Amino acid sequence: MAELLLDSDIRIWVFLPIVLITFLCGIVRHYVSVLISTQKKVDLQQVQDSQAMIRSRMLRENGKYIPKQSFLMRRHFFNNEESGYLKTARRPAAPQPMTDPNMMVEMLKGQLTNVVPMIAIGGWINWTFSGFVTTKVPFPLTLRFKPMLQRGIELVSLDASWVSSASWYFLNVFGLRSIYTLVLGENNAADQARIMEEQMSGAAMNMPQDPKAAFKAEWEALEIADHKWSLKDVETDVLQKAELELPIDIQSYANTA
Amino acid sequence: MYYLSSRRQIEAKMATLDLDWEEVRDTLRTWREDNTRHSEEVVDMWYYCLRHYKHKLGDERWMVEEQVVIAGLDCNRLDVAEPCLVSLNEQFPGSLRIRKLKGMRLEALERFDEAMDVYDGIIRQDETNSSVRKRKVAVLKGQGRYADAIKELTEYLKKFMSDTEGWQELCDLYLKEGDYSKAAFCMEELILSNPHYHLFYTKYAEIKYTQGGLENYELARSYFCQAAKLNPGNLRALYGLYLSCSQVASSPKCTTQKKKETLRLEAWALKEITEKYSKCRDVDGSKIVETFRSLSVTDKA
Repeated sequence: MAELLLDSDIRIWVFLPIVLITFLCGIVRHYVSVLISTQKKVDLQQVQDSQAMIRSRMLRENGKYIPKQSFLMRRHFFNNEESGYLKTARRPAAPQPMTDPNMMVEMLKGQLTNVVPMIAIGGWINWTFSGFVTTKVPFPLTLRFKPMLQRGIELVSLDASWVSSASWYFLNVFGLRSIYTLVLGENNAADQARIMEEQMSGAAMNMPQDPKAAFKAEWEALEIADHKWSLKDVETDVLQKAELELPIDIQSYANTA
Repeated sequence: MYYLSSRRQIEAKMATLDLDWEEVRDTLRTWREDNTRHSEEVVDMWYYCLRHYKHKLGDERWMVEEQVVIAGLDCNRLDVAEPCLVSLNEQFPGSLRIRKLKGMRLEALERFDEAMDVYDGIIRQDETNSSVRKRKVAVLKGQGRYADAIKELTEYLKKFMSDTEGWQELCDLYLKEGDYSKAAFCMEELILSNPHYHLFYTKYAEIKYTQGGLENYELARSYFCQAAKLNPGNLRALYGLYLSCSQVASSPKCTTQKKKETLRLEAWALKEITEKYSKCRDVDGSKIVETFRSLSVTDKA
């Protein structure tokens, strides 16, 4: 097959501008989202609940290191039928995301910074730079890659390793992550791929945990937690170990004393 | 990472004026990340070195200045702290973090009521701000109002109940007031948070030992034993083990079998202590053992 030769103007007027535009868009998006994002207010009640959960978990895991009396006392504090923390807490059920106005505003902001520019810029790029073959990947690819790398060019005879302008744009959108990290630091808002991931899995994860259900689970776990004092045999342990290490009897020490 | 550890070392370096400002910056950064105060060193490093390079620090400058303000207040070097506070205030007007620093300055000047007002104002704006709530406790403690401090701190711990620092402080406050059973409760809380740290066990056992009574002596013996097991070099735990063993053994309610066991443990503790001391040349181990025998309550003659 004859080698395809690209006009060098394509490099200057298509290839590089696409890189530049996507990069700058990411930067702008980062700063816009920094501007319009609001600091999440944490509710004191939420803090208290989460800290109580942590403490109750520690009690379950490490309760064996404190005397039985103390363990029961703490469990009583959490689990008592009438006054236990996990029993009496009356928390409102998890707010429905659609009815909470704050939530709606947050979502709108997310849409505004992520989806709208993506559609706008993507559409514009598609319209302005459509139909160019921009570059070639330096290895052969199978035909399966054609729809991925040659979006916008429907040529059967074109080798699969050529990349069209629209595909080049998408490669940039998803591939600039490490460059953004370099320029803007970790946890920047410029990265499209991250946002896409969030949107995929996000809906369920973003919802605030229902404290009622969490308390119920913790209550159950604590209820069945058994106290087995781990310091019960520590003295004999220590003595046995000492006798194994030093066969000369400690008894003689005791006798001479 | 290179640490500028001793004060003398710093002074020697200051004298030759070859202290590299980048080195100093890195040291301060490690201290910030490790949450260690090193107040005197920080003040010296700032005063003799970094003060002249603050334009080179970039955005880190503000964090360094915050660190210096706290260090300066610790050492009562208001001449160092105040310029930093002024520049921070100019950079971030209205910031709660800066307001907290201002409150701390008022504390250092012993204007406690004004400091309290500042902290109350911050809490009104951000009620989940735990460090400011803790500062309020510190103000009360600074005034010597321990009972009020305890009250404030228990209120705080009701909200932030997995704050180990808070429990530790509450334990010390209760010890100051002589309320041992409540102090023991706080220590239990700390043991729950980190059950592999021998000093928590030692302190818990010490509190139990101070409370007295056969049951508490036995508990103390177990916990001293655990501490000695976790860290065989914990001499204090070994001393405690020895003393609590002899207390248990001397109790009339102790059964013979139990007594035998306890005496063996006591002998082991004594042997460990003697061995530890025979290893250091300057101390005469036999004398310590002698002292110990005289300390012992049981009559072993």
